[in-house]
Amino acid sequence: MASRKILLVDDSETILQMEQMILQRDGYELVIARDGEEGVAKALATQPDLILMDVVMPKLDGFAAVKRLRENAQTSAVPIVMVTTQSEATAMECGYESGCNDYVIKPIDSLELITKVRNLLGD
Amino acid sequence: MHPATKPNPNQSDAVLEVNNSAHEKLYLHPGQLFASRQSHAVTTILGSCVAVCLWDPVRKIGGINHYLLPAFTGDGVASPRFGNIAIAELLEQLTALGCRKRDLQAKLFGGACVIAAFRNRTNHLGWENIQSAEKILGREEIPVVGKDTGGDKGRKLIFHTDDGSAWVKRL
Repeated sequence: MASRKILLVDDSETILQMEQMILQRDGYELVIARDGEEGVAKALATQPDLILMDVVMPKLDGFAAVKRLRENAQTSAVPIVMVTTQSEATAMECGYESGCNDYVIKPIDSLELITKVRNLLGD
Repeated sequence: MHPATKPNPNQSDAVLEVNNSAHEKLYLHPGQLFASRQSHAVTTILGSCVAVCLWDPVRKIGGINHYLLPAFTGDGVASPRFGNIAIAELLEQLTALGCRKRDLQAKLFGGACVIAAFRNRTNHLGWENIQSAEKILGREEIPVVGKDTGGDKGRKLIFHTDDGSAWVKRL
C-alpha cells in the first residue's frame, strides 16, 4: 500500500526540517514547497493527502494559498493544517474562513502535530 | 446564553454582534487557560480542540481553558495542552480565587471533525476531546449547562468571565 503523502509549505528551513523529522518517523512521503505559489503548484501536481501550510510566506501567503486550493476541484477537499506563530493565531478566524481544517502553533509540538495529522488522515 | 435561563445543553449562542465594551479583552491560545475575578471577554479559536468554560454564579467568577489533546498519558511534557491537566488546573485556579466546586457550572465548545468521511467515527480527535471533558466534569459533579460541540466547522468563541455567557461563531 502506497504511503501517505504530505506537502510541507514553509519558507523556513528550520521549520521544514523539524516537520520532516517528526513526520518521517511515521513513514509519510514528504513533498516540499518554499512559498505559497510553489505550494499551490505542487499541491496540484502531486495531489498530497494532507498539507501543512505556513502563514507568512513570500509570493503568496498561506491564507491566500488555501483559498486558491479550495477553489480548485482537484484540491478542494485535501485536509490543510496551518502552521502559525502565536501572534498570527489571532488571525486564524481568516484561516478557517479561507478553508483550512486545523492549526498548530510554533514552536511545533511533535505529539500535537502527529496526532492532528493522523486524525485528519484517519490513521 | 444567560446563566439564569433554563439549562439547555444543546443550545448555543449565535454570534451576531457581541458587546464586549465593559470587559477587558483577552485572546486565549491553545494550551492556555485563564480565570479571573475581573470582567474579561476571552476569545479563542477552536477546531478539533475543546474549550471548557467554568463559572461560579454565586461569586460571579469564571475561567476557560483551551486544550488540544484529550489526556496526558505520560508521553511528552504534562501541560494544559491535555484535557485532564487543563481542566484540573482551571479548577485549581478557580478554587484559589474563592470559587466552590459545588457551585460551578460548565459550558463546552469545540471538538469539530472537519473531515466528512470520518464524522461517524467515534475515535476522531474532536470527539475524544469532548469525551475527555464530559468524563472529567461528570466525575467532578460539575453540570454542563450549555455546549456547542462536534460538527464540521471551526468556531470562534467569546466567553465572559463575570456572567458566564458565551457566544459562538461557526467559521
